[in-house]
Amino acid sequence: MRRFEVALPESLDECLRLLADRGPESKLLAGGTDLLPQMKNGVTTPKHVIDLSGVAQVHVLESDAKTGLRIGSAVPARQVELDARVRDGYAAIADAAALIGSVQVRNLASVGGNLCNAAPSADMAPPLLALEAQAVIAGPKGERRVPLSDFFTGVRKTVLAPDELLVEIVTPPPGPRSGGSYIRHTPRRELDIAVVGVASQVTLSNGVCAKARIALAAVATTPIRATAAEAALEGKALTPELIDRAADLAVQSATPISDQRGSADFRRHLVRVLTRRTLTTALARAGA
Amino acid sequence: MSTMKTTRDVKGVGLSIPRPDGPEKVTGRVQYVADIKPRGMLHAKLLRSPHAHARIVRIDTSHARALPGVRAVITAADIPQLKKKAPTRAHAVLAIDRVVFVGQPVVAVAADELAIAEEALDLITVEYQVLPAAVDPLASMQPGAPPVAEAGTEADTSEALAHSAVALAKSDTGPTKAVNVSQQARVQRGDVAKGLAESDLVIENTYRVPMVHQGYLEPHAVLAEWDTNGLLTLWASTQGSFNTRSEVADVLEIPENTIKVIPVECGGGFGGKIRALCEPITAVLARVTKRPVRYVMTRREELEAGMPAPQVIIRLKTGVKKDGTLMALEADTVLDSGSFSGTVLAVSAVFLGSMYKWPNFDIRGSEVLTHKPSVAAYRAPAAPQTIFAIESQMEQIARALHLDPVAFRQRHLISEGDPMVNNQPWQSNGATEVLKRIAEHPMWKSRAEWVKGNGGHGSNGAKRRGVGMAIGGWLGGLQPTGATVRLNPDGSVSVLTGQVDIAGTNIALAQIAASAYGIDVDKVRITTGDTDTAPVTGLSAGSKTVYTVGAAVLEAAQDARRQTLEIAAAEMEASVHDLEIENGKVVVRGVPDRSITLAQIGKKGNLYMSKVQPVLGVSRPAFSKQAPGFAAQLARVEVDTETGEVTLRDFVVVQDVGRAINPLAVEGQMQGGSVQSLGMALTEGLQFDPDTGRLMNPSLLDYRKLTAADLPNIETIIVEVPSPAGPFGARGVGEPPIIPAPAAIANAIQDATGVRITELPVSPERIALGVLAQK
Amino acid sequence: MAKQILSSTINGEAVEVLVQPYETLLDALRETLGLTGPKEGCGTGDCGACTVHLDGKPVASCLMLAVQARGRSVTTIEGLSDNGVLHPLQDAFVRHGVPQCGFCIPGVLMAAAALLAEHPKPSEEEIRYGIAGNLCRCTGYTKMITAISEAAQAAAPRSA
Repeated sequence: MRRFEVALPESLDECLRLLADRGPESKLLAGGTDLLPQMKNGVTTPKHVIDLSGVAQVHVLESDAKTGLRIGSAVPARQVELDARVRDGYAAIADAAALIGSVQVRNLASVGGNLCNAAPSADMAPPLLALEAQAVIAGPKGERRVPLSDFFTGVRKTVLAPDELLVEIVTPPPGPRSGGSYIRHTPRRELDIAVVGVASQVTLSNGVCAKARIALAAVATTPIRATAAEAALEGKALTPELIDRAADLAVQSATPISDQRGSADFRRHLVRVLTRRTLTTALARAGA
Repeated sequence: MSTMKTTRDVKGVGLSIPRPDGPEKVTGRVQYVADIKPRGMLHAKLLRSPHAHARIVRIDTSHARALPGVRAVITAADIPQLKKKAPTRAHAVLAIDRVVFVGQPVVAVAADELAIAEEALDLITVEYQVLPAAVDPLASMQPGAPPVAEAGTEADTSEALAHSAVALAKSDTGPTKAVNVSQQARVQRGDVAKGLAESDLVIENTYRVPMVHQGYLEPHAVLAEWDTNGLLTLWASTQGSFNTRSEVADVLEIPENTIKVIPVECGGGFGGKIRALCEPITAVLARVTKRPVRYVMTRREELEAGMPAPQVIIRLKTGVKKDGTLMALEADTVLDSGSFSGTVLAVSAVFLGSMYKWPNFDIRGSEVLTHKPSVAAYRAPAAPQTIFAIESQMEQIARALHLDPVAFRQRHLISEGDPMVNNQPWQSNGATEVLKRIAEHPMWKSRAEWVKGNGGHGSNGAKRRGVGMAIGGWLGGLQPTGATVRLNPDGSVSVLTGQVDIAGTNIALAQIAASAYGIDVDKVRITTGDTDTAPVTGLSAGSKTVYTVGAAVLEAAQDARRQTLEIAAAEMEASVHDLEIENGKVVVRGVPDRSITLAQIGKKGNLYMSKVQPVLGVSRPAFSKQAPGFAAQLARVEVDTETGEVTLRDFVVVQDVGRAINPLAVEGQMQGGSVQSLGMALTEGLQFDPDTGRLMNPSLLDYRKLTAADLPNIETIIVEVPSPAGPFGARGVGEPPIIPAPAAIANAIQDATGVRITELPVSPERIALGVLAQK
Repeated sequence: MAKQILSSTINGEAVEVLVQPYETLLDALRETLGLTGPKEGCGTGDCGACTVHLDGKPVASCLMLAVQARGRSVTTIEGLSDNGVLHPLQDAFVRHGVPQCGFCIPGVLMAAAALLAEHPKPSEEEIRYGIAGNLCRCTGYTKMITAISEAAQAAAPRSA
């Protein structure tokens, strides 16, 4: 890496002051698993790096019945993966966290970093989108909340201004009889980037699907919701045929490209397969 | 040699002894080049071309030179020895006026810190005139393709000689046709057209294998320092210190004996660290700065600008009768060598036509240059790709004719004495035995039931099971070498070779010395000397270390034994023929109280004013008989037909090693080679942009090597068909296990899904879309 | 550009050194502290050769800045053995002939040690996933699995 200065703030306010001073020439450092490789490749060459290790507010991991799940932006994926509250109540999030990199990477890689890096293939995005999470953002004018579905604006682009910081992600409780699942396709079992990732979350009521949310990674410029597929499921009993129909509709929401990880045709095919599989698993978990 | 009497009942050959450097390795104490940091050391970085083919118009290094902490900035203009017609990649130290691959070094920097060196690169301006690039090998073969080599550059066949030791008669090579075709070969027998015309079944396929990287975990690294007498020391991660010395001497035009190459522990080579790469430029930087300079390649540089295995394209057409009689084989092989010639073209021809007894064949091979990084060897160069083709084809023939795939192969497999495609007879080999052991394996015999059993995992029965096998071999390398064996004053024995110990061969050499001399292996110490201290030694490559260096050690140990017995005979006034070495003593057979210890003999040879000579066994053999090694592999796979994901459930490798000097080490080689083979089959491939020639996957995230979670246990079965000339019958072990897996996997996938994959890596996409296409 | 003081516990000892702000933890361990056991195989967190323990958890030290280790505890391969006595994992690796070129071994051992701390009796699958972040090119992993499994058995408490 080229040379740079580092700042070690001990509070959110101190962090915001640093961003206000040098926002455009600085980068925030949580786990470093995206930032450091980018700096080593010369993709980004910030003059200042702001280390979040000492900022307590971005390390919270809390869950309660009213607010739901709060994941601080710098909380490592491994912590989320292993947390019983996440596994029990927000299984799709735990599924995704368990898939990032290897254990050595997951002990560093932050959920917030995965979202802020905003790769179209970001594994944490689909389950959080499917669970209708909100991004809590701090800036010079105070705090604002942005639904995650509005958070991503393009390839590696988010709504964050240079003087803002993602503080935490809040996921409302999905309610009783709700189940979710995240599956991605990769050529290897670990250390891989999703060719396609799908998260499904279904909530049942009186034997039918009261709410369905399906989110896709790596098939558009940002992680997206498959809203046509969702609409086809709501209010109906989730039969295998209906699930197949939803899978077909999910394909229509996708606009994949062909790159060295996979062709567009294959990605479309995978959207169908993984949507069907995650819906089936989500349904089973909802019923359990 | 294997008929020489050896001492029984010593701890030596045949024992599974852990390597003695194990404790140093598990505690992290072993030093690699990047761990060595002499005082005053500078760090080197290279500015590399972003274009596959371009003219260099102008270079401005002024701003880089001005950066504090930068000690040298060098271009080709600063190295007068460089020739425009660089005969090898190593000679192209820095580009002179043209670049021929993305990543080619153009400017070199030495600085106090790596970060400063990196910043210096940012400050260098190079103006290029971009030229059309020849990226695809088939396009590059056409007349009128953008030229790669400087006009008149001789093709480099040194790699071919170092590796394959396969001779194709001069008349087999024809004149080159197009500017980028750098080598051609052709072998023929009989009448192929007639053979095909008389066939009942003709199958034609084109098999493609991309360039792959050898994948060693330790990137290339070298530390260079000159002393005030103008002597250069290179601490290098290399597979052959003497080869490195020769190449550096040739490139820099300095005498070999002014260079000392110290082979530091090598973190993997597999053929990629045979040729010089970073050593010359690092030596130049050290000379200019008068400081030690260390250069360690980044992983990205390794992938973009290393020396990978060639891309191989084989069009293979075979004709057989419906009863399975082989009629004719016709093939066109293209090896993409990148920007410099260096493939082992002959190997491809040999293995395509020489594994089975084809009465008629016509095999043409071409090596073509492209604007990509040039190639070097990778463990059995050209063999895995070639066997992928022929073993896939044999399988398809067997399946089409409803013949048992192993029985079909057994019927046509070559034996000792059968002619290879170049009409030389096959040497003694264990191919038949290896194939027999696979046939007898329970996983092969029970394959029908296993396939029907079908796991039951998976949400909707999308999983299908398949079993496949393949066999391949390697001729085994030869290289002259030397060794010394010394008796120490305490009765222990020291062995000196120049052999870089990558594969755990040192313990095997110690075991050979022990068994040959008559002493337990724990009393034997092997040292790998540098180019100043060791006898000239060849490469740790080509599956020849135990075969050649082992033979040298055997001979030197026997020489030392003879000397020892002669001294003891004189001391004890006995006949040499009545003496035996037992428990550290030379005893008169049958007379236990007449003995002299080895320590006494050792001391006598070292005492002030002694008239007794020291015991110093010496050997300097050269070899003429190769000892082929064959391996067969069996794979049981489960394929998710919807996603194309392949799960390897079981894997077996059967290999003829002649004699397992150290079974523990042999198993490690078999397992490691198998996993490299599986990587080539399942996930690996360097992907170059067809227009820009840029590598699209220059990181280990996208250049995927297999992890422990992708694999089952690799079951090993050692077969011993002794070689006539190898020490205790041993054959080389390193290369055969990398050969068969791609074919075995493709065969298993066809068994599972009906889809025949002819392009590697066997990607899930190809399988899933192949299954869909069947519907 | 000023160096920073890094106060940390390294292999059980309190340490205070000056590091560059742009230095990774891996570089600081290797170049400043002379602990060359952890290796750089890729620099991007894809190979595991740089694995060390941070507060007992396995991490890719090439992806951390040295300053991020302030106030925390780092263990490298040099800290795995106890006063010259090999850890059961190290001993098992030696006896099973695991190390070939040896370059991946420090990282694998640190990952395996962390695995055993969390799963004292791991299944084969757990072991494979536990070291899935460590690439090895020489061994094919089979003997590593056997050695780790054996070390786990040896370390497991005897049944009453």
